[in-house]
Amino acid sequence: MSLALIAALPFLGALLPGLMIRAGRNACALLTGSVTALALLGILLHAPTILGGGVVETRITWVPALGLAADFRLDGLGLLFAGLILGIGLLIILYARFYLAKTDPMGQFYSYLMLFQGAMVGIVLSDNILLLLVFWELTSLSSFLLIGYWKHLPEGRQGARMALAVTGGGGLAMIAGMLILGQIAGTNTISGIIAAGDAIRASDWYLPALILILLGCFTKSAQFPFHFWLPHAMAAPTPVSAYLHSATMVKAGIFLMARLWPALAGTPEWFWLVTGAGLVTMLIGAKIALFKHDLKALLAFSTVSHLGLITMLLGFGTKAAATVAVFHILNHATFKAALFMSAGIVDHETHTRDIRRLGGLRHLMPVTFAIVVIAGLSMAGLPPFNGFLSKEMMLEEAAHTAPWVIPVLTLIAATFSVAYSFRLIAHTFLGAERHDYPHHPHDPGFGLWAAPALLAVLVVLIGLMPMTFASGLVDVAAGAVTGEAVKVKIIHWHGLHSPALWMSLAAVGGGLALLGLFPALLRLWDAAPRPEAKRMFDTVIETLAALARGIDRRLHGGNLADYLWIACATIAGLGLWAFLTGSHVAGGQALQPVPPVVAVGWFALMVGSLAVAIWHRQRLLVLILISIVGLMVSVGFAYLSAPDLALTQISVEVATVILLLLALNFLPKTTPVDTATPRRVLDLGLAATGGLLVGGLIYALLTRDFAFPSIADYHLENSKTLGGGTNVVNVILVDFRGYDTFGEITVLGIAATLIYALTESLLRPGPASDRLRHWENDTQDAGDRHPMMMVVATRMMLPVALMVGIYIFLRGHNVPGGGFIAGLVVAIALVMQYMASGFGWTAARQRIDYHGLIGAGILVAAATGIGSWFAGRPFMTSNYGYFEIWPLEKFELATAALFDLGVFLTVLGAVMLALSSLTRIAIRAGQKVNVEAYDMQDRMGGEEH
Amino acid sequence: MMMNHWIIVPVVLPAIMGAFTLLALRHDLVLARIFSVAATVALLAVAAALLIATSSAPPEVYRLGNWPAPFGIVLVLDRLSALMVTLTALLALVVQLYAIGTGWDGKGRHFHALWQFQLMGVCGAFLTGDAFNLFVFFEVLLIASYGLMIHGGGRARLKAGVQYVAYNLVGSTLFLFALATIYSVTGTLNMADLAAKLPQLPEGDFALIRVAGVMLLMVFAIKGALVPLQFWLPATYAQAPGPVSALFAVMTKVGAYAVIRCYTLFFSPALPATGEMFADLLWIGALMTLALGGIGVLGARSLGGLAAMAAVTSMGTLFLAVSQFSAVGLSAALYYALHSTLAAAALFLITDMVGRRRGDVLLTAQGPIAQQGLIATLFMAAAIAMAGMPPLSGFLGKLMVLDATRGPQIALGWSFVLGSSFLVILGFARAGSTLFWKSHETGGTPAPQASEPLAITAIGLLLAGLVALTVLAGPISDWMADTAAALLDPSAYIAANTLGKR
Amino acid sequence: MELLIALAVGTMTAVGIYLILRRRAFPVIVGLSMLSYACNVFIFASGRVVAGLPPILSKGAPDYTDPMPQALVLTAIVISFGMTAVIVMMALGSFLQSGHDKVDMGEDAE
Repeated sequence: MSLALIAALPFLGALLPGLMIRAGRNACALLTGSVTALALLGILLHAPTILGGGVVETRITWVPALGLAADFRLDGLGLLFAGLILGIGLLIILYARFYLAKTDPMGQFYSYLMLFQGAMVGIVLSDNILLLLVFWELTSLSSFLLIGYWKHLPEGRQGARMALAVTGGGGLAMIAGMLILGQIAGTNTISGIIAAGDAIRASDWYLPALILILLGCFTKSAQFPFHFWLPHAMAAPTPVSAYLHSATMVKAGIFLMARLWPALAGTPEWFWLVTGAGLVTMLIGAKIALFKHDLKALLAFSTVSHLGLITMLLGFGTKAAATVAVFHILNHATFKAALFMSAGIVDHETHTRDIRRLGGLRHLMPVTFAIVVIAGLSMAGLPPFNGFLSKEMMLEEAAHTAPWVIPVLTLIAATFSVAYSFRLIAHTFLGAERHDYPHHPHDPGFGLWAAPALLAVLVVLIGLMPMTFASGLVDVAAGAVTGEAVKVKIIHWHGLHSPALWMSLAAVGGGLALLGLFPALLRLWDAAPRPEAKRMFDTVIETLAALARGIDRRLHGGNLADYLWIACATIAGLGLWAFLTGSHVAGGQALQPVPPVVAVGWFALMVGSLAVAIWHRQRLLVLILISIVGLMVSVGFAYLSAPDLALTQISVEVATVILLLLALNFLPKTTPVDTATPRRVLDLGLAATGGLLVGGLIYALLTRDFAFPSIADYHLENSKTLGGGTNVVNVILVDFRGYDTFGEITVLGIAATLIYALTESLLRPGPASDRLRHWENDTQDAGDRHPMMMVVATRMMLPVALMVGIYIFLRGHNVPGGGFIAGLVVAIALVMQYMASGFGWTAARQRIDYHGLIGAGILVAAATGIGSWFAGRPFMTSNYGYFEIWPLEKFELATAALFDLGVFLTVLGAVMLALSSLTRIAIRAGQKVNVEAYDMQDRMGGEEH
Repeated sequence: MMMNHWIIVPVVLPAIMGAFTLLALRHDLVLARIFSVAATVALLAVAAALLIATSSAPPEVYRLGNWPAPFGIVLVLDRLSALMVTLTALLALVVQLYAIGTGWDGKGRHFHALWQFQLMGVCGAFLTGDAFNLFVFFEVLLIASYGLMIHGGGRARLKAGVQYVAYNLVGSTLFLFALATIYSVTGTLNMADLAAKLPQLPEGDFALIRVAGVMLLMVFAIKGALVPLQFWLPATYAQAPGPVSALFAVMTKVGAYAVIRCYTLFFSPALPATGEMFADLLWIGALMTLALGGIGVLGARSLGGLAAMAAVTSMGTLFLAVSQFSAVGLSAALYYALHSTLAAAALFLITDMVGRRRGDVLLTAQGPIAQQGLIATLFMAAAIAMAGMPPLSGFLGKLMVLDATRGPQIALGWSFVLGSSFLVILGFARAGSTLFWKSHETGGTPAPQASEPLAITAIGLLLAGLVALTVLAGPISDWMADTAAALLDPSAYIAANTLGKR
Repeated sequence: MELLIALAVGTMTAVGIYLILRRRAFPVIVGLSMLSYACNVFIFASGRVVAGLPPILSKGAPDYTDPMPQALVLTAIVISFGMTAVIVMMALGSFLQSGHDKVDMGEDAE
């Protein structure tokens, strides 16, 4: 079977349980199990090849640019781990079927479990470090889901988050480490990296890579100082603890250290980092385990300790030590999984895991008792069980490793592990039978104890006949780790000269002694102050989160002024910096004279601007001042040869001021002081700086010439001949750059649409419309709302204004004018009617639909553009000709004019729609001014009621 | 010369559809929906066709009004613009389905008209080859986005809207300053013409063009939410209607696009006047963005805020890759842009799902909501994508960005990317367990709510897109590599403009 | 002449910046229009300024001023008009919704 398929099977299997659970729990478990069994079968089919010293490979390209490929490779180490993952996985599925309560969503559980299984298989089969990273992070994610499986338990949620934070964080470090490793080795295939071992160890990047990768491994395998997350992960259902936290996931780190052993091991850095971490972990774990009362916690810390043991062995960097490590991986997986499941059984039967509440179960639960004794003694390292064999070999290695502190500490750790193993057995099963169990226990059904029993059998078989049941696998696995042929000789009796024997005896004796002294030791332990890892972790995370919240609040608290301050300061600062760091030669253009009249206008402009700043709190006054500024600007345009600009500026000016006036009708009429003086000074400083820089910039530009001939020369040359108009600006607008204008009128159209939609939402029932309904007009009403003069004047003006509009529109192409200005003029003329005669009167008289006007305008413009397609020309290619219609004189008609019509319509519609929206708000506010229209003939204006 | 009129269609089609909706369909939501969706489908089809066509052809120029560059305005279709237009159309279509499926489009007037105008603006910005025209279409897409942002009204939304508009008006003003300076120095506005002329710029003008370049960069940085110019984003994205925030996921990319386009074409690091200046600024900005984004995700008080800050973080990652101005960097940036657009959109839609079932999106434990399991799963997937965890494309994107970060500052760049990823993972884990797990503790029965299959499908489609990005990462990244190469050697782009020839 | 224009642009910009840093919608809007005045004059001036040479083709005109910036300014004016209208209405709406025209998010901050 293809390795890719084997790796994929569990993921495919993860989809099934969610559906199959509808067919019942048995069907669900059976199906899930059979998928795992199939994958296991696939592995076993390759076993002969592997045991024969060969390897199996599957290579699929994925992202060559990144050096990421779906390369899978099965060798001895992979076989060992894949076998463990799938084999124990199978048992766990069986066990979980009977362990989970009816209320637990089993389909979900199996799905998560399969996801995790797939990720693990992926890790051990990957031959590409990036692919391995993918699966690595997947184990973190799936274990997050599994630990948090009982969502209602806060411990579960916190444990899940802690596990994700620690292992996920380590994973991030490992990403960097792996990328560095790949760059040193020049390849991302693990086989290639292993081959490049010497180069890697020689590289300057070796140490950073090593540290980053070890961070990943240590967090995953709960090595000191990252060991604290594992016990809290025990909030998960027991099958999960047995699977992830004893047999598989926590071994992922070990696996990776073994996998990269040939590339990374053998240096002093490796020795001290790995051995050190392993040794400390082994010691601490064993010590804590002894004093834990929760069965699962005890087992959890013993796991931590055993992982430390294996890590230490890998750290030694010798072939023999690595071989022992491999052997112990196998043994630990067997007895520890069995113990976890048994602990689960006890919990399941007695409804407690607290050792202090247990004891004397041996008669009530003989089967469980038997299993626990076998596995427990193996954990303690007593003959004839498999734990004894690897333990002996481990002590042997430690004894021959300098400095002396290593064997000493190892011995102490071993002593403690004997002690907690004995305590597990004795305090749970031995002693007198009690009558205060939370629930009266008895052995569970076969389904529940079958799995641990099978493992116990393995413990015994390997223990008795290691050369038959283990050595072959150990040989190939160790061979894969060390990269050399391994022929292990596993024996029970090393002879009297062997230090391991005496160390074992010492450990057993010491262990018994510790157990004897347990009550006294426990008092000491409870008295002694200990760092509570979880509290520390939580404090760190909570402080981090609180800090983050604080910073975020401060930064994004919603104060626009601060936002804009930072923006302006950044822009000004960087602009200045960019200028100062570049070479600048002042332009040589002669300055132009200033006629007195211009000076006067300029003075008015300056005074007006400053006055706006000074009196910006009097809002009505500001409107007058700003229109003075606008007026002066347009006068300036007119003087500086820009008649079109002048016209547009002035008409836009009028429309804007009208708009602001109507809005100000509702807004407060003054602006209170809400900033302290220092802040205002700061603002002034920034404003002055900004003004200075912009002024300086335009001065520098004004006094120099173009570096290259301007494109405008082309427009001046071709405006008449090709564009068919003498007003170059207008030709640019409707022809050379008509596309800009197309966008521009769309903007206007959208603006009006938006304003209309906004008005609609304001008038819908809600705070806004309530506020309007109970509107108190705070301004003093004028004596006469519709001054006769104004009414008459505007009525008279209307036709004139319309004529003017049309005239401006038509002449636009050749002399100042055009659709836009025309549109505004007509719009303003109509607005005048509103203001003078009131909404009702005017609305009654003209029923143009402004939406339609806008839509039509844009459509006309677009259609004009598309029209040229039919002439085989690009969008908006203009065409023009001269026509003569009696009695008019010969005049020119250009498609550009049609386009300009679109502009005209859109502008008119947009302005009117915007203003009429405002008027609707006014009506809601019950403003008489707009409703009861004054009228000279009739009073139909009142119809709005 | 014969023109390929299809190039203009992505601009004209939505324009006409928007106008037509205003003119004829504004009173009939159903009709508006039908036409609007049909138009977006057509847009997607055209975009895809253009993408395929340009993948095997040099850049193609469309002269508007048949005026030659640089005197008239031209559109330029190249791999990059085609890619962005297609992405936009795809996102728009899916999110539009969501808006319809949840009835969002009926909560105010003119949703579909504004939606089409929004598309017109975005596509126009991607396609134009003229600097000032870029400004015009920025304004089109901005004003449409203002309309969509306040769709449905409400106090907080309007306040955020005012801030959004004010902040961007400052940006538009800056844009004009920059363009005027550029024109005043070089006398041209066509991008290819700038690329051709700027290298010959006399030394005496260097300082001024540098100022212009920085101002322009700031304008695009505002769009791209690059710290310290990101302030408009959080409130806007958190307050805008769900589907609108989702569509806005492509708006930040407009900023990124503009940076990639302009700063490889005419302000490239090879330019004597400016050199590495812009790359350095982008680098610093990207690092700050990564940091602040990660902090924001961890510190978020609502799911909306969390999603918004996650989007900011993704822009940091994106700009970090861009700041390398290398082939690997740009192709990583483009791949990551596709990913982060879809992922962010999905996250915003899911946020909206939660919001409409709970009434708020505050990160506090409340009773379970309707379809909790489904929504939780979708959230998990989107979170994995945004946090750049495997197996989704975010992880590949992150690897590409890390791989593209070379040179002396590699350690700095990597630690910022990975560090902010860590904060983001923490933030998402906390948020998810509070929203979807803790609610099992409080218990209670969820308020009844329509199952909204269309909306769920839309989210599913976005996630499917992420899966496709992951599986097809190989061919896609190769395509991106070619695109990046073309960006780094713009001679073909410039040649296509046939400057100054009739 | 050039100096006067520079001074005018600078002043209008400064006033604009000062006003957009206020805390109420109305001054911010006024500030934005001041900025757009400054900006329009800036663009216009970027084509250099000259009196009495309007870009309207006619026999015997000695020369013409640069028409391009004028066209750009026209576009800019129209767009900024639309934008102003929009922000005015939004400010009004926000005022009607919340009863004050402060521009900060206040209690609505996420």
